[in-house]
Amino acid sequence: MRRVAVTGIGVVSPLGQSAAEAFEAARAGRSAIGLVQAPFAHRLAAPLAASVRFNGAEHFEAPRLRMLDRASQFALVASSQALRDASVRLSGDEHERTGVFVGTGMGGINSIDEGYQTLYGQESDRIKPFMVLMGMHNAPAAWIAIEHGLTGPNLTYSTACSSSAVAIGEAWARIARGELALALAGGTEAPLSFGSMKAWEALRTVAAIDERDPSASCKPFSADRSGMVLGEGAAMLVLEDWERATARGAFIHGELAGYGLYTDTGHITRPSVQGQAAAMRAALRSAGIEAEEVDAINAHGTGTQANDGVETAAIKAVFGARAGRIPISATKALHGHLLGATSALELVLSLMAMQHAVALPTLHLAQADPQCDLDYVPNVSREGVQARTMLSSSFAFGGTNAVLAVRAAP
Amino acid sequence: MTTTFDRLCAILARDYPLQPAQLTPDAPLESLGIDSLGVAELLFNVEDAFGIALPAQPVALQTVGDVARFIDSLIAARAGAAAGQAQGQTGGQEETPDAPAQPLAALAPVPAGAAALP
Repeated sequence: MRRVAVTGIGVVSPLGQSAAEAFEAARAGRSAIGLVQAPFAHRLAAPLAASVRFNGAEHFEAPRLRMLDRASQFALVASSQALRDASVRLSGDEHERTGVFVGTGMGGINSIDEGYQTLYGQESDRIKPFMVLMGMHNAPAAWIAIEHGLTGPNLTYSTACSSSAVAIGEAWARIARGELALALAGGTEAPLSFGSMKAWEALRTVAAIDERDPSASCKPFSADRSGMVLGEGAAMLVLEDWERATARGAFIHGELAGYGLYTDTGHITRPSVQGQAAAMRAALRSAGIEAEEVDAINAHGTGTQANDGVETAAIKAVFGARAGRIPISATKALHGHLLGATSALELVLSLMAMQHAVALPTLHLAQADPQCDLDYVPNVSREGVQARTMLSSSFAFGGTNAVLAVRAAP
Repeated sequence: MTTTFDRLCAILARDYPLQPAQLTPDAPLESLGIDSLGVAELLFNVEDAFGIALPAQPVALQTVGDVARFIDSLIAARAGAAAGQAQGQTGGQEETPDAPAQPLAALAPVPAGAAALP
């Protein structure tokens, strides 16, 4: 197997419009969660979200913008950033040997929502002509390939909350097997439409408002946690064959060392200790590392009652007595749950945390839960934590549990 | 009096957004960033604005002027059909649109939007 380097990062997120901005906000503990400003906010039980300050017109000519759902806009901007960061030039057959791998849970839900509003809300039959093109899940990946002339595999993964871990992992596998030289891999999500937010609310997985401080509403691993908060954005990474990257003297953000999958079959939403532990073990096996080598973890840590206790038990199952000494960061309290883009953003934050020798905080952890008794780096980041190897976990509705293993650059 | 061309330009200026100086009758749509798929969307909005229905058969529209003439021909056809219905026979020459309608036959039928679709 060939080694895989991360040589470029692009981020459009609630925490900021680049990897550096997002990381600095996370390090400083500045939550991007807030009250929804949309006209439909009064119809939400808890109008909370982590939204991106983003104006598509600043990035795209108008005729093109009319064809791009918000999810595609995020993905295109993040991809261009990542390619610029990688300063990569493709030659010979390398356009064919570069793939695009994108995870998204809800695709172009804003466009679909708008189309159905025309049909059902306005009782008009005049659906706009581009709804199919804007709504389809593979639009972001397709636009990235068109923009950059990348003719290798163009694949979209939709496995709910692990979509972008799967996209990154599958891209990693193709480069590791020598099939591809490079890949743009990551995820994008723009789920803050009225229909989507009501659907998530109906499932009763979203957090209640913290009346004292709405930005503190998502409280992973805290006894008073009440659920997740939806976020939006994209994170894209340039993955590159290690030898190619070192030969050209590229800056290496870190090494993607392995990827584990395990499917929970017990229930469509309920997580299991055994299923989460099996996914972490699969990542360790894939990366060829022992549990003892893992220095830190970016948890799935949604802030739901169901996940956080189970995840704690799964970490104990994998790491045994050492579990309590591993710093565990649940960054969703900062950036919200970006669904299909969340794994990619969390992987980026993990890479940056290793680069800067810091363990990112799990915010709003005010009340100890006897079920959640590990080291979650509560409330403030911890400087001087030099992790060499990290796991980034994503456990999904539908059961596709995916865990990525990364090493710090040498 | 507002001509079809003016009304069309108002839609283009609003949706794309374009400067009045760019909107001349012989300006190629491609040069304004509107490709065959973009024309399909433009015509959708034109249908609403002018209260006309496009024929199922796509037509080649290269310039802003082409679109204006195409709209006029459809308005004329609609007026003709209405007049014909009223008189029980074909007619409608009395209601001429703002600009002289180029015969539809001069616009070669091609699968404009369809060419870009699978």
